[in-house]
Amino acid sequence: MKIEKMHIEIISFGKISELMDNQTIEIEGVGNTDELKQYLEKKYPALAEMKYKLALNKNIVQQNAQLKNHDCIAIMPPFSGG
Amino acid sequence: MNTDRYQRQIILKGFGNEAQEKLSKAKILVVGAGGLGCPALQYLAAAGVGCIGIADHDVVEISNLHRQVLFSLADVGLMKVDVAANRIKQLNPDLKVDVYPISIDKLNALEIISKYDLVFDGTDNFESRYIINDACTALKKPLVFAAVSGFEGQLAVFNLDDERGINTNYRDLFPIPPKAGEIPNCAENGVLGVVPGVIGTMAAGEIIKIITGIGKPLANRLVHYNMLTQQQYEITISPSDEYKKMNCEADFIEVHKPNLTENYIEIDVDEMNALRTRPSTLIIDVRERHEFPRLNTSVYRQIPMSEFESFATSVINEENIVLICQHGVRSIGAAEILHQKYKGTKNIFSLKGGIAKWRNYFLNQ
Repeated sequence: MKIEKMHIEIISFGKISELMDNQTIEIEGVGNTDELKQYLEKKYPALAEMKYKLALNKNIVQQNAQLKNHDCIAIMPPFSGG
Repeated sequence: MNTDRYQRQIILKGFGNEAQEKLSKAKILVVGAGGLGCPALQYLAAAGVGCIGIADHDVVEISNLHRQVLFSLADVGLMKVDVAANRIKQLNPDLKVDVYPISIDKLNALEIISKYDLVFDGTDNFESRYIINDACTALKKPLVFAAVSGFEGQLAVFNLDDERGINTNYRDLFPIPPKAGEIPNCAENGVLGVVPGVIGTMAAGEIIKIITGIGKPLANRLVHYNMLTQQQYEITISPSDEYKKMNCEADFIEVHKPNLTENYIEIDVDEMNALRTRPSTLIIDVRERHEFPRLNTSVYRQIPMSEFESFATSVINEENIVLICQHGVRSIGAAEILHQKYKGTKNIFSLKGGIAKWRNYFLNQ
């Protein structure tokens, strides 16, 4: 099945926001959060070296989840500072 | 209890004498008397919490003063726990304060944490954060988690059931601790002082809510705060099945047993001094160039952590390599990098507690 073009909003925090601005990306052939991770890590190779967690529409992604048009993905690194 | 002191909060709808009474009976442990711990301690003491434990192994440094608002210039060099305890007792003499001038580690965490109703984690390193998280989870203690980086902060409440009876902890976000040195800390990355002020104050608010039962605490939610945009982004946390949840003290001990095979050896300042006189020893200061106190670079070669990976590709001739940094955390990261390269063919050491712990030794040279 051909996956339609989708618009996904990307929000990033901490050091990850130095790699990518908050933006809406247009993607094709990316249907779920695992594929989106691969897509982002290819586009931003430094991301692959970092620890981060995704949230889909403000819910933590614990296993691969389907994406739909206009979903919002937040990319959150751990912070340790005090 | 002098109720005049608390009159303005007692008259709040839904608060009253009952909530004030709960605060006066509460025992809270604040781990880390730093940028997050200072404002939390001030507001908890002011609000009338009965007993506060403060744990921190550090002394006050001049670079702390821009964000650690309990300390003044005259306190530089003094133990943070002592200064903080005095200040909050001046603020509220009814308060009972316990001081722990040590790091919470895998050997003491269960014993210390078990004495308190609730723990606030305002530490500055992942090693402590995972130990505190795991001990609180094993002991089923509510944990208020706060962390900052740059202009941003994170706040969450762990091990507290939501209305569905579900609770989560830090391992539901990040099941495996980052490697030492993988995530920059405040010394490397910088932090605007007001950011831990905001987050530490919000943490005190969460603690007061949990103790008194008012409002809706941040259970299973993480708030991400950005000071530059003045925006908050809230994420709902659900349980992860990528790790085994700790349900008892034995689970904690199983995960945090002492290492049997060390990739490097942690040493104290006397051992470092002994190594220094031996031939074929290289001592490396991995702090960034702007950090104080500055050391004699002919004795302590300076290779900041931000340049360490590229340095590690060059050839080191010395057999003994001693790594030092401000608190002995980044130096472990550097030790791990060198271990990856030399695999036991060199002796790698890290100064435990760092320059801050052995300040007098370094300043008297």
